[in-house]
Formats: sequence, structure tokens, C-alpha cells
Amino acid sequence: MRNPRKFAYTIITTILITLIALLFLFPLVWMIASSLKPEAQIYNNMDNIKAFLPSFHINQWGTAYQSLLARFNILGFIINSLIYAFGVTAGSIIVNSLAGYGFSKFTFKGQKFVFGLLIATLVIPGETIIIQKFQIVKLLGIINTPWAVIFPSIAAPFYIYMFKNFFDAISSDVIESAEMEGAGTFTIYWKIMMPMAKPAMATVGTLSFIGSWNDYIWPLMVLTDSNKFPLQVAITNINSTAPVYMNQVMAILTISTIPLIIVYLFFQRYLVQGLGVAGNGDK
Amino acid sequence: MNNILAKRNNQAWWYIFPALLLLALFLFIPALLSIYYSLTNYYMLAPQDRQFIGLLNYINLLKDPVFWTSVKNIGQFVLFVMPIQVGTALGLALIVNRKRPWNTFFKVSFFAPVVVSLAVTSVLWLYILNPDQGLLNNLLVKLGLHAQPLLTSPKQAMFAIIGLSAWQGAGYQMLIFLAGLQNIPTELYEAARIDGASKWERFLHITLPLLKPTSLMILTTTFIDAFKLIIQPMVMTQGGPLNSTITPVYYIYRTGFTDRQLGYASAMSVIYGFAIILFTLIQRKITGAGGDQNA
Repeated sequence: MRNPRKFAYTIITTILITLIALLFLFPLVWMIASSLKPEAQIYNNMDNIKAFLPSFHINQWGTAYQSLLARFNILGFIINSLIYAFGVTAGSIIVNSLAGYGFSKFTFKGQKFVFGLLIATLVIPGETIIIQKFQIVKLLGIINTPWAVIFPSIAAPFYIYMFKNFFDAISSDVIESAEMEGAGTFTIYWKIMMPMAKPAMATVGTLSFIGSWNDYIWPLMVLTDSNKFPLQVAITNINSTAPVYMNQVMAILTISTIPLIIVYLFFQRYLVQGLGVAGNGDK
Repeated sequence: MNNILAKRNNQAWWYIFPALLLLALFLFIPALLSIYYSLTNYYMLAPQDRQFIGLLNYINLLKDPVFWTSVKNIGQFVLFVMPIQVGTALGLALIVNRKRPWNTFFKVSFFAPVVVSLAVTSVLWLYILNPDQGLLNNLLVKLGLHAQPLLTSPKQAMFAIIGLSAWQGAGYQMLIFLAGLQNIPTELYEAARIDGASKWERFLHITLPLLKPTSLMILTTTFIDAFKLIIQPMVMTQGGPLNSTITPVYYIYRTGFTDRQLGYASAMSVIYGFAIILFTLIQRKITGAGGDQNA
């Protein structure tokens, strides 16, 4: 070692930082490990290092998952979550890109006013008006249907703004030459604008998927039939349906986190483009 | 030619219409409804008895001890979660911004809680913080410390929620800080080093000032988001014990949805909604983000 002092410093800081990293990891490691062992072992191991290790018998790993699947319609909840999340994602990409296109590539009377109004709605805190939103959904007669979960989450001023910005950067020459060749406005949107806006689509898509997958309060309000629950609502339901087995709860927590891990792994760079926008907890 | 152009431009409304319709239904109209309902005694189960009662809901609200408790609780939450979460995020960003062995492992570890949803976080921590059989108390006892009541103690419950909220969100803000740190030109540090500035001086005179816009943005968005706290207390404590974790948004939900007092809940929505809008406008002013910038 050329510089023993520096070497010692690196070792000490690395150990310290590893401890901090473990502080962030331990709940998740504990969650997964606990889902991979029989109920009794969780309580027996709680005060030693084995708490963070799965059962030593690999054939016991599936026990909690098997009983969970036998007791609850987990596959159904997963399918519900996927339907809602993909519905919101597809709707969000289409509706918001259409509006972004409308604001970007057309000039019309009242354009500035309508766009200003849209931007102004960004300040309305949606969390405070859920009760009145619920009234609207009730009035529309779509309570306890997938539409009640999907429709209210589709349009978002911020995503419209994002698409508009992206379309603004596409030169008008492209559009004019397409028009010369007789392409209608929708053809231009579908064949020229959207293929060029793939990064914006990916960003909006990723953010809406995660937002919808994680949504808890709204589906809880508008769905009365537990067969229609998405995973997030099912979790708390399972956690309060007696008898509650801790290893099964940990299994459902793990199951509902896996799709998010996949999304983060594949779409992380699109998420960074939306950074600082979605805020902290509620992504 | 002008006619063709006008005809083309009129098509714009077709593209904007779906978004406008959805926003009107689920944002504009609910916001307007909340103002209208707030002036009535609307009870969800007896809509035919709805009467205009003026400002009575607002007057009752000002005299409602639970509302003021919820305001006090959210004040406590914001006051503590801000420095803890943002400070942690900055510390983590500084850690992973330096080249060191296992850097990717650290970055992934710090970010890992972000991947978990709030519902999952809340249920998971329910088991970690459980007073009798929870993981944390088992570890505390093992270390020779006293077990803590945490979620069942009116004094500790909010702090438990503050802790897990910071744990969950810090990794996300770490990424934003990291982006800010990586925008600082390295030449500045080298020049300062040549001038004999110590590590601490370099942090104080280069890193902090250049990180100011990022920090302001993170601080203000955290501040506003913190006011919307609901899922953690809803899942973990149902606002208890003794209303010590009830928050305004949760109280609105409970009054309007569980108790079906739509008029009263609407008055609360209006007051609290305007408070958040006010904070948001102040935030825009501070961070210099105009209306046509981002949210």
C-alpha cells in the first residue's frame, strides 16, 4: 500500500456506508426472507440473524405462497392490477399526447386561455377533492367498475405539457411536407408525431404505470366488490382477514413489489426524465 | 388559403377534447362542487334534505378540536420529515457521488425502498414496529435496550410514521441531488484544491452554493407533498392512538366518505385545498418555476 492512512480511511468509511446501506435494505430483506419460511420460524428467529435469512430447507420456501394462493384469489388481484395499470397507461399516453399535439401544432382562438387554464389546474391538490370526485363517479353510474378506477387517472396537465414540449421540438417543415402530400392531421399525428415522441411516451407510460399500480385510496373508495380489488387494496384486506399469517402477508407484499422492480429495472432512465415532478412518496 | 388553414386549425379541438372532458369531470367540477357543497348541510344518505346553510360549516370547522389536532399533527410531520428526509438524501447523494468500491451496490440499496409502494411500506412497518412481536423491539431487547410502544403510543406514533416516510422517500431525492452534484464542473474543485481549500471548505463554498437550485426544488416539493400525508396513518394507526396521527386529508376522507358528511368534508377540502394552493404558489415564486415550467 502506497498510502496506509488513506487505505485505512477507505476501509472504515466503506464499513460505515455498508451499515447505512443495511439500514435501508433490512426491511425488504426481512420481508422476502419471512415470506420464505413457515409461520412459526418467523417468531422464533426474530431476535437473531436468522430473522434475515430464509428457511434453511428450500422445500419450505413455497409454503407461504402456496397457502396464500389457496386462500385468496391472488391471480385475480394481479390481473385486476394489470388491467387498471395498463388501462391508465394506454389511456394516459393517448389522451395526453392528443392534447399535446392539439396545443403544439395548431393555432386556434382561445388557445392561450385554455392552455393557461390547464397549467393552472396543476395547483389543485387532487387529494383534497377525492370526496367530490367520488360523487361524480357515483353520478356517472360507474361505481364498482374498472372505469371508475381508470378514467379519473388518465388526463394529467403535466403529461399534456410534456407531450406539447416534445412536439414543439419537431419542425413544422415535416408537417407541411406531409400535408402537401395530402396527409390528414390524424395521419400526421399517428404516423409522424407519435413515432418521434417515443421517449415522451416511455416517460409518461412509466410514470402512469407506477402511479396506477401503487394507487391505494381511490380504488378502495370506488370498488365495493373485493373480487375487483387491485393488489394494493387486497394487501390490507388480506392483512385484516382472520386468521392472519405473517408469512403469507410477507408473501403478498413481496408479490406486489415484483412488477415494480421489473419496471424500475427496465425504465429507470425514463423515470429520471420525470424526476422531481412526481414528488416523494406518491410516485 | 386562409380558409383551409382555419379549417385545419379548428380540428385542434378534437384533439384536446378528450383530455378537457376528463379534466373537467374529475378535477374542475369536483373542485367547484367542493365550494358549493361546503355551503350546504349535504348528508350523503339524505341528498333530498340538502339545504343552503351559508358559512355554518366553516364556523363549525374552526371550533372542531379534531380538525385542529389534525393541523397540529401535519405541522409536526412536516417540521420533522423535511430536514430528516432531505438531509438524509443529500448525505446519501454525497456518498454515492464519490468513486469507491461497491458504489452501485450502495446506490441500489439506498434506492430500494422507493420501489416499494406506500401500502406495502405501511403494512411492512406495521410488523417491524409491532410492540409485542415486532422485529424492532426484539432487536432493541437483544441489544439490552427497552422495548418501545411506538405505534400504540400517542407520543411516538407520529415519529414512527415520520421515520418510515423518510426511509421510503430519501432514495428518490438522492437521485435528484446526484443529478445536481454531477452538474458541478470538476474543474472548480481542482482549482480550489490548488488554492489550498480543505474538503470542508470545498463543500461549503462550491458544492452547497451550486446545489442551491436543486435543494430548493427538493425542499419545496417535499414540503407540499408532506401536507398530503394519508396512506401511512390510514393503514398503520387509523389516525390513532387518541387522534395523534390523524392528518387533514385523512380527516377529510373520514368525514366525507366514512361519516358521509359531505357538506362538512367539503368545507374542509376548500380550506385545506386553498392552503396547499397557497404553498404551491409560494413554492413557484421561490424556485422561480413559472406557470409554464414544470409542476
